[in-house]
Amino acid sequence: MTTRPISDYLAPALLALGASFAAGSWYLRPEGAVAWAAATATLFVFAVVWGCVTIVLRRSTNEARRRAADSIGSAIVFASLIMVVSLGVKLAVRLGAIDDPDLARRMSNVVAGAVLAFMGNALPKVLTPLSVLQCDGARVQAFQRFSGWTWVLTGLTYAVAWLVLPLGLAKPVSLLLLMSAMLIIVTGVVRLRWKRHREA
Amino acid sequence: MNRVFKALSDPTRRRVLQLLRERPMSAGELSEHFAVSKPTMSAHFSVLQEADLIEAEKSGRTIIYRLRMSVLEDALLGFAQTVGWDMKPDRASRLTRNSVAKRPLKGEA
Repeated sequence: MTTRPISDYLAPALLALGASFAAGSWYLRPEGAVAWAAATATLFVFAVVWGCVTIVLRRSTNEARRRAADSIGSAIVFASLIMVVSLGVKLAVRLGAIDDPDLARRMSNVVAGAVLAFMGNALPKVLTPLSVLQCDGARVQAFQRFSGWTWVLTGLTYAVAWLVLPLGLAKPVSLLLLMSAMLIIVTGVVRLRWKRHREA
Repeated sequence: MNRVFKALSDPTRRRVLQLLRERPMSAGELSEHFAVSKPTMSAHFSVLQEADLIEAEKSGRTIIYRLRMSVLEDALLGFAQTVGWDMKPDRASRLTRNSVAKRPLKGEA
């Protein structure tokens, strides 16, 4: 018996939750109809993509297709989670449960940072068969571990920055963090390719 | 996660993971670093594979083991190495301890 990935349960739950939050916000603040309609439409697109992925790719006998379905499912879960947190906090502010109107922005960025850390954590587990690797296996492994650590630390720092820094400072700091991480990773890729080129 | 803790609780398995941090290695190459029998090493490899910490890939007639650790598992390994945590020994751990007690380590004989 094969176990179903957690995205199979989380994706529909989060999409339904997000749609109900958007509907609640629309009801309480009809003047922001465009924003709520856009959020609902986005969630609808996620639901359609998730449905297609589940029906077409997940049932495939091809392992690569099933893996692709899992990764699309996870991406939908993470994107929905960011939207649900943002919509939920906005609804809570509208209902008077939360006083801080900036909290929605803060929380969605904290979740985005956590998602980055989560994805970075899994990065070293994604292995390409040694037979099809174009570089030395040891170097690829070292690079994957390094990338994983870089994204985990960037994601955690990003989340903490949005949690504790004033909003005016959190944005530039988080952008700087992201750009530094990307620069580090791109430098690593270039070095890896350059070493391969030298050895060839 | 319980399997990961179990896998990391044994010093031999932690050493295997440390060796694999350097590069992918064959079963033979890994076994050279330990004074234990092949079946015992195989048992350790199985525990690590069950915990999804290593992956075996067949290359001709040899099996190449490579690391398959997430960042969190990597950090746990570092922590386990630092504090030297030990849990209730499993079969493979008991076999290793018995073999090490009976056989001298390479270079000591």
